[in-house]
Amino acid sequence: MNKVLLILHKEWLELRQERALLFGMLLPPLLFTLLPVLIVYAAGTAPDEDTRALGAALADPALAGLTSLELGQAIVGRQFALLLLMTPLIVPSIIASYSVVGEKTRRTLEPLLAAPVRVRELLFGKCLAALLPTLIVTWVGALLFAAGMALVTVSDRALAAIITPGWITAVLLCTPPIALLMIAACVAISSRVNDPRSAQQIAAVAVVPFMALFFGQLVGVVVLSPAFALGMAVVLAALAALGLWVAVGLFQRETILTRWS
Amino acid sequence: MSIAIETTALSRSFGSRTAVDSLTLSLPAGTVFGFLGPNGAGKTTTVRMLAALIAPTSGEAIVAGHRLGTADHAIRASVGILTENPGLYDKLSARQNLIFFARLYDLTAARAEEQAERYLRLLGLWQRRDDPVGGFSKGMRQKLAIARALLHEPPLVFLDEPSAGLDPEAARTVREFVKQLRADGRTIFLTTHNLPEADQLCDLIGVFRTRLLQLDTPARLRTALFGRGTLLRLAGEPARWLETVRALPFVHAAKLRGDALAVTLDDPDQQNPLLTAALVAAGAGIRYVEPLEHSLEQVYLQLLGDNGAEASLL
Repeated sequence: MNKVLLILHKEWLELRQERALLFGMLLPPLLFTLLPVLIVYAAGTAPDEDTRALGAALADPALAGLTSLELGQAIVGRQFALLLLMTPLIVPSIIASYSVVGEKTRRTLEPLLAAPVRVRELLFGKCLAALLPTLIVTWVGALLFAAGMALVTVSDRALAAIITPGWITAVLLCTPPIALLMIAACVAISSRVNDPRSAQQIAAVAVVPFMALFFGQLVGVVVLSPAFALGMAVVLAALAALGLWVAVGLFQRETILTRWS
Repeated sequence: MSIAIETTALSRSFGSRTAVDSLTLSLPAGTVFGFLGPNGAGKTTTVRMLAALIAPTSGEAIVAGHRLGTADHAIRASVGILTENPGLYDKLSARQNLIFFARLYDLTAARAEEQAERYLRLLGLWQRRDDPVGGFSKGMRQKLAIARALLHEPPLVFLDEPSAGLDPEAARTVREFVKQLRADGRTIFLTTHNLPEADQLCDLIGVFRTRLLQLDTPARLRTALFGRGTLLRLAGEPARWLETVRALPFVHAAKLRGDALAVTLDDPDQQNPLLTAALVAAGAGIRYVEPLEHSLEQVYLQLLGDNGAEASLL
């Protein structure tokens, strides 16, 4: 564990010198937090009866009985609440691609591998270096989002329709496996690319299933209940475990030195 | 005498290509070993195997007292390595780079600080200890990478091209440092293309191209390939006396070397007086008599088969 922490500390020391990376990490969650506050506030000032016809409004019984203003805020707020789950897609891909591909392009891997550090310690350290900031940024972002919603929603009912048990469950339980899956993907991609930006762009493909969830909720096909969130978390955890198993297989001393292109 | 590295038929292949073919050698501890060979010869692959970075395809090795393949972690803890690319963290300072690696080599925090300071001072980098390495010159980065290889005081050090690309002063600092390491009793496994440097530093030379072509001291390699001899600087045109020298029964070969005569003999100590007497008797004026030297470059090229005929005496 000691060497894991050493590597984590080193990654942190490097990361904090990379202003562009830090900006890239913090900007999306900031947008996902501040922008919804403004838009949900705006939704609370202009009632729209057409909202009642939306699939999202029809699919969830919890939304029945809300006023037009409340419903407008709830629909908009829920979609933005879901967008927050993109944070664990974006942040670890930025950090992990810099951390792994960056070492490859800067040729710092060989001296590191020559040291008496086990590859799993190295990988674990790098995973933590990407995972911990992701969890912090996502959960703090979620708290700020919830606080922002509390400020701008027209009623407690509207707030309760946005900050739902299902969403809380998703934020708490799905964030770690999503982040780990992205980290594993970046490690796998790193074995083939020589530029951190290429790794990030390839990892961006992970947005596609997320967008299915986003539009699924909008049209009423998906209702983010606690059971659904829990089910999602289990599936994501299984995928993350598989992804990490593949990543560990690719992140071997000999493989890195002889086959990483 | 203890052995720092012992290999038995160590081999490594990548698919159908053999990079290292049945390397067998035994390096006494405390020697500076020069591992010479052309680009693509398999030197880096050999170093990587011995430093337990990659596994051999076959064969065995004992490195710093540990068996390769079963005690790889112990090998990595016992050796220091300067890789072909220094691989330093540009965003971190010199001190941060060293302390990070020192801790990876299981030094305590206090010992890591102490060793980092010691080597930064030794290598003239103490004034720049808190500067990001990204702003260092090539020579400074190389010195820092050497320091990194030595923090944990390993008995065996692999140095891959330690003075490559350095200015003469920095290269000299590195050479002096290697001599100091040898005086401290360390074993240095040196790969270099700088043959004069290898000649200066190395106790043993191995010439390698996929397999070990020759392993011996520089002096014995010279004698084995070129024999011993004498260089004669004569008054007037030396070519005048070439046939006279060649006619002597104890002379193996004689050739012009610039404005001198290069003569190959079995035993210069015994035969020089006869040689000089014969020349004087023939009317030659002898200005200087020196041992016939062959450069390590000539040895190297001879072994690798380039310009074989011309390199045989000169």
